Amino acid sequence: MISSAAEQQNLEQTRQRVFMALFIALAVGLHTFEALLPNPLPWFRIGLANILALTVLALYGLRAMWVLTLSRIFIGSLLLGNLLGPGFLLSLAGGLGACLLMSGGVVLLRKGIGLIGLSVLGAAGHVCGQLLVAGLVIIQHQSIWLLLPVLLLFALVSGVLNGFAADLLVDYLLQHPAFSACRKGFGPHQLKG
Amino acid sequence: MALKALWVRTTRTDRYLILLLVLVAFTSLFLSFGRTAGKQLVIYADEKIVFTGPLTRDRLLELQGPLGETQVEISAGQVRVVSSPCPRKICIGMGSVWRSGDLLACVPNRVVVRIEGEGKKGYDLLSR
Repeated sequence: MISSAAEQQNLEQTRQRVFMALFIALAVGLHTFEALLPNPLPWFRIGLANILALTVLALYGLRAMWVLTLSRIFIGSLLLGNLLGPGFLLSLAGGLGACLLMSGGVVLLRKGIGLIGLSVLGAAGHVCGQLLVAGLVIIQHQSIWLLLPVLLLFALVSGVLNGFAADLLVDYLLQHPAFSACRKGFGPHQLKG
Repeated sequence: MALKALWVRTTRTDRYLILLLVLVAFTSLFLSFGRTAGKQLVIYADEKIVFTGPLTRDRLLELQGPLGETQVEISAGQVRVVSSPCPRKICIGMGSVWRSGDLLACVPNRVVVRIEGEGKKGYDLLSR
């Protein structure tokens, strides 16, 4: 059976779409699961869903990461029932902050950076985005930034662990034939020609 | 070893980045603990000032919010939320505050307690 190059490309596109849907579903699952966990420290999240964002970033590129994070936040809050509430606003701000810093990391440090570094950047961006919105919209006072050092330290720990998990996951997935057309990297075109 | 596996998976840029962020965190931690004790407290309910007073006089304040009554206690120069009708009790979990610039907030009940330093230390007017 011979398939033409065009057909091959078509197959890869369809495959990527299907996998994106699965990754988004998983991310929504993790987002919701994390909301169910007891959290002794207010406003602190492990950011499990970011593991999927990093995985998709490494496999399919920046655009896929943005798509996954934004859909995850919208669908996740729809499930949790806090869509457009303050909790949703904080999560959206955190997601946007994380994506912005991770995109910055990819664009500026493409040669040197790895998934763990990106994950830490994302965690820091998440904290900054949340504090920004919390300070501007919810508390409306800038002393909220006093929380920054504490939250940042926790974010660093969870960022390193998440990045580690994502790195392991990507290496594991790449062994599977379904991802044979992908390679690990952060460029705009991850699919091999 | 898990730590060794972690080390192998970080690139040099990753390590510098983590080091940088740790430094930022500790510097800001140091800066935030260097503040002096506050002199007075200001309480906002629904974004309006409802109480100002010195930290030195002990008392128990009852504040009305949309959910009900939040009780704030001033004792021995420290302020804490004693009881609150909010679902997650984060404001109670924030413990006692006393440094100038510190903040206690109950977001669901829209009550914010702020500690301030010397009254007239800032600028009267800034023109640029």
